[in-house]
Amino acid sequence: MTAAALELNGLRKSFGKTEIIRGVDLSIAPGERHAIIGPNGAGKSTLFNLITGRFPTSGGKISLHGHDIVGKAPFEINRMGLSRSFQITNIFPKMSVFENVRCSLLWSKGYKYSFWTMVSKSQELTDAADAILEQINLTARRELPAGVLSYAEQRALEIGITMAGGADVIMLDEPTAGMSHSETDYIVDLIRKVTENKTLIMVEHDMGVVFGLADYISVLVYGEIIATGRPEEVRADPKVQEAYLGAALEEDH
Amino acid sequence: MSDSTQNSTVRPTGVSFSMVLPWLIAGAFLLVMPFVFTSNSAITIMNQMAITIIFALSYNMLLGQAGMLSFGHAVYMGVGGFMCVHIMNYVEDYSIPLPLPLLPLFGGLFGLGLATIIGSFSTRRAGTVFAMISLGIGELIAACSIIIVAFFGGEEGISGDRTMSLPFFGNEFLQQIDVYYLISFWVMLSALLMYLFSRTPIGRMANAVRDNPERAEFLGYSARWVRYYSFCAAGFFAGIAGGLFAISYEFLTAENLGLLLSGEILLITFMGGVGFFFGPIIGAIVFTLLQTVLSLQTELWQLYVGGLFVATVMFFPGGLAGVLMMHVPAFRLGNAKMLIVPYIKTLIPAAIGILAASGFVEIMFYSRHAPVGEAEMVLFWTDIDTSSMIPWSVTIGLALICFWITKRNAPDLVETWHRANAIDGGDA
Repeated sequence: MTAAALELNGLRKSFGKTEIIRGVDLSIAPGERHAIIGPNGAGKSTLFNLITGRFPTSGGKISLHGHDIVGKAPFEINRMGLSRSFQITNIFPKMSVFENVRCSLLWSKGYKYSFWTMVSKSQELTDAADAILEQINLTARRELPAGVLSYAEQRALEIGITMAGGADVIMLDEPTAGMSHSETDYIVDLIRKVTENKTLIMVEHDMGVVFGLADYISVLVYGEIIATGRPEEVRADPKVQEAYLGAALEEDH
Repeated sequence: MSDSTQNSTVRPTGVSFSMVLPWLIAGAFLLVMPFVFTSNSAITIMNQMAITIIFALSYNMLLGQAGMLSFGHAVYMGVGGFMCVHIMNYVEDYSIPLPLPLLPLFGGLFGLGLATIIGSFSTRRAGTVFAMISLGIGELIAACSIIIVAFFGGEEGISGDRTMSLPFFGNEFLQQIDVYYLISFWVMLSALLMYLFSRTPIGRMANAVRDNPERAEFLGYSARWVRYYSFCAAGFFAGIAGGLFAISYEFLTAENLGLLLSGEILLITFMGGVGFFFGPIIGAIVFTLLQTVLSLQTELWQLYVGGLFVATVMFFPGGLAGVLMMHVPAFRLGNAKMLIVPYIKTLIPAAIGILAASGFVEIMFYSRHAPVGEAEMVLFWTDIDTSSMIPWSVTIGLALICFWITKRNAPDLVETWHRANAIDGGDA
């Protein structure tokens, strides 16, 4: 069996005396689309921040393709093939849309900290950035400062930036938060399109999105995963229904 | 108001004429200037200006490009300059065959060397932490100037003689004009290199780290290393400016390291505009002119520079370059002509008002500081008697009237401005 794309073993995190993540075990296979759901304050975003190196862990192991990544800085984890988006839109607002995408390509195209090449000279870089703009439907906005885009466009740009580096494990933190129905549909299509053949891990509140996109669902409640499985299994799980999902499911379906 | 240093990368690859043109104009300008202003003092002022341009551009690599607010940038220029004076003296004492035009390179290398050491710990964080460390280092090295007398020469500073180096194609740099061309060469080269630096991957990521360091980290770049490399490059060019200063003045003191100069370069860069590559150049030119020309006219010149700085920060955060670039859309739309009349109606009274107000300040200053019994002063080429009430009331009255007219006409200007920038403005 090949190594899991992402594996968590007894992951813990405390802020002071409060334990937010209380021993999470999770294994996500390559190519899987995995959604993490749970009530507010369950620790979903914290879990994301631990995996991506934004917060230090208090205990446990995280491995990416079999390599231990605990204690690594975000940029190192990113170079190992994990990329993420944020719950609050996190782009470079003063730079043009094109620049945003191009910057996200630089490392993976091998430019590193080079100060002897001109970025505008590289046709390859320009073409790759334009291809991504095409994919996320922002070609018409190419020269605008990213900060003036509409909310949905900024989210799309953020997904584009997240994808551009060529990472094969993609983590999206509430990609459709605060969007209208049509915007949500647009983003879901986009996510489906750009994460093909990649491992997707997402936190999401919108159950329509979760059941539409995910192959597997994990339910996180008070820092523990109480159930993991196929959507229909999770939906049927009495523990899950009790903890959180029941009401939401009744509403949605 | 977005950043031209970021937005102008739209063109296809390769070098186009429109890209080279500004550099050609700048080069031609530098060549012609000494024929327009021939006096020695004018050439000294232009030398000072060119050195300040390199220094300000180097500072903007930190502030504008990488978002690092430094309060100690003079240190790198100063150390580069001190080192160059020492090298000048070695060259003289041991007859080392080093041509003078190469000297600034050594200044740059020492600026770079110091920056690699200081930057290794100061660039870990941006924002307040970086600003405070830069302030501390600035003070520390300025204090060293009194402690390490062998290097910094204590309170008298150190001096050298540029003419003792190997003649460069027969030129011994005896005249200011020779130095002018040497400095012009370096200002062109440094500006070009700094511009190109902003176009490299590291230069682009410096912008990204400035805007959003966390996002940059999640794109595979360590914000800290991006800042560090920018910091080292800025130190290098500051050192070059220091070397040119050493050549031009042949004399450095602790003042060249001090907080005052560090603060001044922040002011110059910000006033010129941090968001545009050419902003600091404008800032350096305007400031040097104020510093040299205005200071001959009035002792209070720093008051007016301070006023200009505050006005810039409050009303035009894009600096003077930002003010210029604000007009580009109106020009593109062909609506710039609409603005002429409102500008005249607003800016002329504003200018007269400012002059009148400064006249009032000058009269007040004179009457407080003149020797007892002296009441005659010259203000705007007019002899006036400060003991009578007339000049007082004329200046303050004129200022108030002009500011009132300005205030009355300003809304009209704002409205025309919006029309000129609207797509259909010309037809409306």
